[in-house]
Amino acid sequence: MKTQDPRAKTPDATIDASCRLPLLVLFNGAALWLVLGLALSVIASLTFHKPEIFACCPMLSYGHAQAAANDLLVYGFCVPAALGVMLWIFARLSQTELVLSPLPFIAAHLWHLGVLVGLVAILTGNTSGFAWLEFPRASAMLLGVAFVLIAISAVATFGQREERELYPSHWFLLAALLWFPWIYSTANLLLVTNWPVRGVAQSIVHWWFTNNFIFVWLALVGLGVVFYLLPKLTGQPLRSKFYALFAFWTLMFFGTWAGIPAGAPVPAWLPTLSQFASMMLVIPILAVAIVLVKTLRGAKLFCGGSTYGYIRLGGLMFLPSAVLLVAAACPQYSRVLEFTWFGAAQVQLHILGFGTIVLLGAINEIVPLIMDKPLPFKKFVPWQFFLSVVGVALFVIPLLIAGVQQGHSNFEPNAGKFWLKLSMGGLVLLLLGSLLLLTNLFLMTLKWKIALVKTVAAAVVAPLENSEVKS
Amino acid sequence: MNDDMSDESKSCSLPSSTEPTATRSTVPMWIFVVTLLLLFLGFAFFDKKGGWFDVRVYAPYNSSEELEAAQPKSAAAVAMAAGKKNYETYCGSCHGNDGAGKIAQAPPLSGSEWVMTKGAERLAHIPLAGLGGPIKVEGKDWNMNMAAMGAGLSDTDLAAVLTYIRGSWGNKMGEVSPDDIKKVRAEVGKAPQPYTGEKLMTMPE
Repeated sequence: MKTQDPRAKTPDATIDASCRLPLLVLFNGAALWLVLGLALSVIASLTFHKPEIFACCPMLSYGHAQAAANDLLVYGFCVPAALGVMLWIFARLSQTELVLSPLPFIAAHLWHLGVLVGLVAILTGNTSGFAWLEFPRASAMLLGVAFVLIAISAVATFGQREERELYPSHWFLLAALLWFPWIYSTANLLLVTNWPVRGVAQSIVHWWFTNNFIFVWLALVGLGVVFYLLPKLTGQPLRSKFYALFAFWTLMFFGTWAGIPAGAPVPAWLPTLSQFASMMLVIPILAVAIVLVKTLRGAKLFCGGSTYGYIRLGGLMFLPSAVLLVAAACPQYSRVLEFTWFGAAQVQLHILGFGTIVLLGAINEIVPLIMDKPLPFKKFVPWQFFLSVVGVALFVIPLLIAGVQQGHSNFEPNAGKFWLKLSMGGLVLLLLGSLLLLTNLFLMTLKWKIALVKTVAAAVVAPLENSEVKS
Repeated sequence: MNDDMSDESKSCSLPSSTEPTATRSTVPMWIFVVTLLLLFLGFAFFDKKGGWFDVRVYAPYNSSEELEAAQPKSAAAVAMAAGKKNYETYCGSCHGNDGAGKIAQAPPLSGSEWVMTKGAERLAHIPLAGLGGPIKVEGKDWNMNMAAMGAGLSDTDLAAVLTYIRGSWGNKMGEVSPDDIKKVRAEVGKAPQPYTGEKLMTMPE
């Protein structure tokens, strides 16, 4: 490739290096929030079973810890990690250096500041009261501005591409860049202002936002990343462009209507339409399944713990997650499963099993490239993979069982208690896994900074050359 | 890729510096067929459960009709509903379901001075005995025959039909009770002759 047209081709190493600063900030912060989020999840789980355990400290009561944990997982980890991966993918697909790279570097700090403000607000009780939107206005504004700044850089990089024809990941990731500002600003303006919509419309807006953010947005990001990295890591082409396009349109068109629970106390047409849309999601699920199976069939690699393992498993996890969403919307099942732990299990499978595993794989793949160095502890990558897989299974499957038990015994307060306790084990494993990532990233950054300081110091203290002395 | 990458990572991911490509095989027909089939089922489901965007319909009700049926009803509303049903069966084919009459078939009932009377006694003679010969309705001359279409209906049913006629299409006259019908039925006898317009005008309103 390089010999064909040496004038036009920017070396991959140059492209990767141009992403280094913003991505380092995005990924390091994301890893830190992931660890904190999972730690708070463990705390929330503990207080759920033993409310008196942190009685001394109201900050760690279930309501605070659970809300903070959820928000840290999505706003703290998923969004900045996704933005970092997107910037890199856009730069690589365009074969140019990252355009306006100071913009995402500043925006990444703004984003993490916004998350920090939000975390403090939640722990001190200053929240909006809407799940997934607990961050107060100041924090929401920081997040919105930061997202738009990063999106500008991503779109500018996209505009510089030499290959004009779009690759499927372009659609998914560009849609994700537009989707988030749309839904986040709408939900915040309608719910978290001085003039919120009134009455039952609040719940409708809230369900709409949650589904569009957690299900649709994360699906767009996750599938976009999988459709990019899977062919790259296997050396196989994506099979095929048109299947992916079909999945893209049907996912966006039907996904955005889903999410209003069948038993919601709103006019019947809303939940009915929502159930209709959820059933139609069978179509994108089929299309994604075909793309994944056909693309993976050609790949002869087997290695559980590599980044390929992450991307393959994470991509496949979209299927059970989406199938559970559809199943929960079927009238026969929703009668039993609605408003139980089953819904929470589906959401957590989507966030932790699909989105997080895909993004972790991408981070582990990208960071050595942008730093031009292997990770300090390469063994951590497969270890974290196994911890994450076992952790997600141990967390989600018991929650699903607990949900079914709860649905069958509505008035039994202890229904599914055993399984809920078991699911805490999964969280602990996930927490351990995330610590491995944090260690790797922080050590790498530290080494890089020390090297940087040494280079600068060496330049300063270096003896002057003879020629300079003479003049 | 760097040389110091471990053996494991070498075997697990290819050193691919090229950007990924996608094949161009098209989406098969069956997935469109499945989409259309699901859309059909989905619309059927919405039609059955969705209440067609009526904001008053909440689960467990499925439609506006079901909701109406479940509402408690006043006696007058029950009579109007029963009257409408019988009117459309026995009277509507000539007088029109909108009560506007039909040219060369039957004069209008909406706004008709024969309907908008204080009481319903004179009016009740028409369906019970029939009507023949020339009459004037809303300034127009009509000359045709009407059989005793209402003689076969019970007192209650005929009262409901007259209540409906007198209370619909802009008509706003009072209810007709089964007792009124009973009285007129006794007056016209078992095998009545059709009345003429002139004879009817001698009857009390």
